[in-house]
Amino acid sequence: MKKKTVSLMMAAMLAVSMLAGCGSDAAPAGAQATTPEAPAKEETAAPAETVTEAPAETPAADAAAEEITLRMAWWGSQDRHDKTIAAIELYESLNPNVHFEYEYYSFDDYFTELNTLVASDEVWDVFQLGGNFPTYIDKIHPLNEFIDSGIVDTSKFSDTNLKTTQTTDGQQLGLTNGINTYGIAYDPALFEEAGAALPTDTWTWADYQAAADLITEKLGIFGSSTFLSSDFIAGCSTYIGQQGSLGQYGFFNLDLTGMGFDDPEMLTPFIQMRADMIKKGSYPDAGASAEVTNIENDFLVTGEAAMTWVAVNQFPTIYDVCQEQGRTLALATVPKVTPDGNAGVVLQSSQMLCVSEDSEHKEAAAAFISWFENDVDANNILRAERGIPANEDVRAALSTQATPGQQIMYAYVDKVSKMDTPEKVNVLSPDGQAEVQDHYLNYIQQVVSGEITASDAAQKTYADAEALFK
Amino acid sequence: MGTATSNSSKNTFRKWIYSDAVVGHVFAAPFIFGFVVFSLVPILMSFYYSFTDFSLGNKQVIFIGLENFKSLFGDEVLSKSLLKTLQYVLLSVPLKLAFALLVAFILVKPSKMVSIYRSLYYLPSLIGGSVAVALVWKQLFARKGLFNSIAKEIGLSAINWFGDEKLAIYPLILMSAWQFGSSMIIFAAGLKEIPVSYYEAAEVDGAKGWQKFFRITLPCLSPIVLYNLVMQTISAFMTFTQAFIITGGGPNNATMLYALNVYNQAFKYNKMGYACAMSWFMLVVMSIITFLIFKTSKFWVFSEADQS
Repeated sequence: MKKKTVSLMMAAMLAVSMLAGCGSDAAPAGAQATTPEAPAKEETAAPAETVTEAPAETPAADAAAEEITLRMAWWGSQDRHDKTIAAIELYESLNPNVHFEYEYYSFDDYFTELNTLVASDEVWDVFQLGGNFPTYIDKIHPLNEFIDSGIVDTSKFSDTNLKTTQTTDGQQLGLTNGINTYGIAYDPALFEEAGAALPTDTWTWADYQAAADLITEKLGIFGSSTFLSSDFIAGCSTYIGQQGSLGQYGFFNLDLTGMGFDDPEMLTPFIQMRADMIKKGSYPDAGASAEVTNIENDFLVTGEAAMTWVAVNQFPTIYDVCQEQGRTLALATVPKVTPDGNAGVVLQSSQMLCVSEDSEHKEAAAAFISWFENDVDANNILRAERGIPANEDVRAALSTQATPGQQIMYAYVDKVSKMDTPEKVNVLSPDGQAEVQDHYLNYIQQVVSGEITASDAAQKTYADAEALFK
Repeated sequence: MGTATSNSSKNTFRKWIYSDAVVGHVFAAPFIFGFVVFSLVPILMSFYYSFTDFSLGNKQVIFIGLENFKSLFGDEVLSKSLLKTLQYVLLSVPLKLAFALLVAFILVKPSKMVSIYRSLYYLPSLIGGSVAVALVWKQLFARKGLFNSIAKEIGLSAINWFGDEKLAIYPLILMSAWQFGSSMIIFAAGLKEIPVSYYEAAEVDGAKGWQKFFRITLPCLSPIVLYNLVMQTISAFMTFTQAFIITGGGPNNATMLYALNVYNQAFKYNKMGYACAMSWFMLVVMSIITFLIFKTSKFWVFSEADQS
C-alpha cells in the first residue's frame, strides 16, 4: 500500500516535471526524474554487501530506510554534465534510498532558473554557486552543524581551501568544487606560423595585442578569441589589480562595500586596447562573440583564433578536443600591465556545492556534498573538471593518472600558487554586477563605433559600479 | 419519501444548471480559471511590484513609491530599446501585412492546390515563434552562414549582419515578415467576402487589374486591414524570442527589443520591481499607439454601414 502511494507520487512528480520542462523554452535541459519502478526494484534486488558498504561511504546511513529524493542542479559544459551524471549514478547505486532529480544549464540560464526558484522558495537541495554567492546568501544553509556532527568531512581540506567558501564570520557556506585560476590558452603552432612572439611569464597586454594583431594580419583569423563576459574580469578585476603595488587596488574593495580604486582612468588603456583590436579584427566583434556560447565552440577550438581566456579547469576539455584535431594547446599566464608588475590573478574557488535553506533533506544533501568532494571513486569520474580538488588525497590520486591536458593545468596552478599574491583579495561579485558587466561590454562597442571615447567608457563603467553601493 | 426529496432536489439542480447564466459560466470556467490565475493575479501583482524594489534574488519587497517610474526616464538602455522597438514595429508590421495580403491575393484564386499552398505558407507562423527557427535564422545570417556563402559565391563581399549596429535588426524584421501566415488566413477570408459583382461591374466599365485592386479590393478589405494592423502591432511590440536567441540584444543594444530588456532587468539584473514598472510603461505606450490607429481608422477604413 505504502509503496503504491510512493510510486504514485513519484509518477505524479514525473508528470509535473515533464510539464515544467515543456513550459520553459529557454531551459536547454529537461528535468530528469527517476522512474517510479526503479526504487522498489533496487530495494529488493540490492545485494547485501551494498547495504553494508553504504555506511562506510556516507554517515547519513542511519536514515537508510527512508526514501529520499534530492534535487540538484549545476551549470557547465556537456563534459561536466556527463561526468556529474555518472557520479550521481554511482552515489545512487551506493545509497539505494537516495534518488536524484538533476537539472543542468548553461551559466546564464542557471541563474535565471535559480532566481525564480528563490522567489518561490523551492531552491534545489544541492546547488552550485560561484563568486556571486552574496546575492543568494539567504538561501544557503551553512554546513557548520554538519561538519561538527561529522556528516561533512573536512579533515583533508586545508584551512586556505576551506576559507575560500567561508563568510568573514566563519560560516562554511559550502565546500569548494576545486581550486581555479585564470590563464590564456593558446595554439603555439599558429603563433609560430604568423611569426608572433610566444607568450612568456612576463608578457604584457601590449605583447598580447601585438601578437594578436600580427596573427590576424598574417593568417586572417582572430588573433584572440572573445573573452565573452570574462572580458570584464580581464579588463576590470585583473587589470586594476595589476596596477600599483601588490594588493593596493582591486575593482571592488575587500569587504565588498565600495570601489577598490579611485581613478576611473586606470581602466582606460584596457578599453582602448580592446576597441582597437575589435576595429582591427584581431578580436571578435559583438556579432561574432554571440556565436560563441560556451568554451567548446570557442574560436580557439574551431581554429578561428590563436588564443582565448580560460578558467583553467576548462583547459583539459579544450586540450582534448584540439588534440583530436591534431593541434596541441598550451597555457600561458594572464598578460600583465608591466613585465615586473603584479600578476593580478589568484587561486580561488571555482564554484562550490551548497545545501539550500529550502531543502527538506539538508542532512542527506550535506552527506552527498561531502562524498562528492572527498570520495576518490567519485572524483575519478569527475576528473577535476570543476577545478583542482581541494581534498589532498583526491588530488594525489588524480595526479597519478592525469591526462596531458590536466598535467599542464596542474603545473600551471602550481606556478600561480608560487607567484606573489596579496594577503587578502576580493574575488566576489556584488548583487547587480551582471548589469555593470553588460554595460561595460556595450561601452566598448560604443568606443568601437566612435560614439564615446575610451576615457568616457571608463568613467561610465566606474559610475555604474559605484551605483551598486548606493 | 426519500426518493421524492432527492427527485425534487435533482429537479431544482437541473433547473439551476440548465439556466443560461449558469451553463454559460460552467463552460467558461476553464477560461475564467486560467485567466484569473495566470493573467489577472500576475497583472495585479506586477502593478504592486512596480512600486517596490522587489528582486527575485533576495526577495526583499520595500515600497519605494514612484522611484522606479522616475528612473525610467534617465535610463539610456531603455530609451534606446524603446526606439529600436519602434523601428522594429514600424518596419516589420507593414512589411508583414503587405506580404500577407499579396500571398492571400494569389491564393484566393480558385485552384485545386490552394488548400495545400495555404497550409504550406501558414507553416512558418506555426513554427516561427520557436527557439529552433530562431537558431536556424542565426545560422543563416552568421558570418559564415548560408547567405554570406552565397554572397561570396557570386562575388559579393560578406556582410557582418550581427556585428554591425545598423544592420543587426534587419534579419529580425525579415524573420517577422516571414511569419505572415495568420494575417494571410484572415486576409484570404476577407477577400472571399467581397462580392464578385463589384469586379464584374468594374470590368464592364473597363477597369484594369490594379484599378480593381485599389478601388474595390483594398476599400472592401480595410476593416480587416485594421484588425490585422492592430493585432500585429501589439504582437510586434512583445517580440522576445528572436532578439533573445539570435543576437542577445547586441551589438551595443541595437537589437535590444523592449521585451528582452524587461526580461534582462527582471531575471538577469535581479530588478523585478523596475521590470514591472517598465512593463506598465510599455502598456501606456502601446495603448496610445493602438488608440491612434483606431482614431485614424475613420479616415481610411471603409464601412458599408456608413454608406447606407
